[in-house]
Amino acid sequence: MGRPRGFDEEAVTAAAAALFAARAYDGVGVDDLVQQLGVHRNSLYKTFGSKRGLYLVALRWYSRHVLVPLADRLATGADTERCIADLVGRNDLDLLLLAAVERAPADAEVASVVAETLQLLQRALDRASADRGRITLSEILGERLRARAVFAPSDDDSVD
Amino acid sequence: MARVSIDNGDLIVEIEGLDKLWSLKSRLAIPLGNVRGATADPGMAKEPKGLRAPGTHLPGVITAGTFHQDGERVFWDVRDGARAVVIELADERYARLVVEVADPHATVALIERAITR
Repeated sequence: MGRPRGFDEEAVTAAAAALFAARAYDGVGVDDLVQQLGVHRNSLYKTFGSKRGLYLVALRWYSRHVLVPLADRLATGADTERCIADLVGRNDLDLLLLAAVERAPADAEVASVVAETLQLLQRALDRASADRGRITLSEILGERLRARAVFAPSDDDSVD
Repeated sequence: MARVSIDNGDLIVEIEGLDKLWSLKSRLAIPLGNVRGATADPGMAKEPKGLRAPGTHLPGVITAGTFHQDGERVFWDVRDGARAVVIELADERYARLVVEVADPHATVALIERAITR
């Protein structure tokens, strides 16, 4: 430990979560992390231990700072339609979906974070729609997957 | 080239062939509790290595032995950077090991399975 990190660990963690949400785990190399997070390679290793270590920290950060607030908002039941439309239309669920498909079957710690997060969303949805029960969490996840499956070139795809 | 295996709670890194001479080491045994993780990292070999002592550094040919950088001691045994694996350690003589292995993905999976058990 000793010396200060020399970088904002939380900002780096958030940026890593965004990177892992947009691309397959194996498609994110350490070169990408070093370039896009602006952290020296040795600092990355010293702080997070490995690419997997950074991925786990990013996944937990994302669960706590992105999905917990979403679940809280959903659980109030105040604006359920809007919440569900956002979950389907925005990319907030993408890291969870990718983690569930890709890493959870190969990594017990990822599987446990994914399972906890799914439970959290399920409880929030149960509270929000206790009197209606129209849409299930599986349907929301499936709808997000379909919404994401539309070809939409982003700025990231351009080479300059 | 290095051969990485798990034996009785230790991570074993054996340096093969002539690399033993260049790196001045033939075998490292690290308790799994001191292994923080492993990453396949083809870009690592392009990073500055720091000061070599002792060992061999023929740029473009081989990086082998102990290198000192930013107050850390790093062990290298790499000819072909494309197959480099970075193994991060804690409470060890070396802060990390950078070794070339036959199958980086299999080596990373082996180490991750062993340390998350």
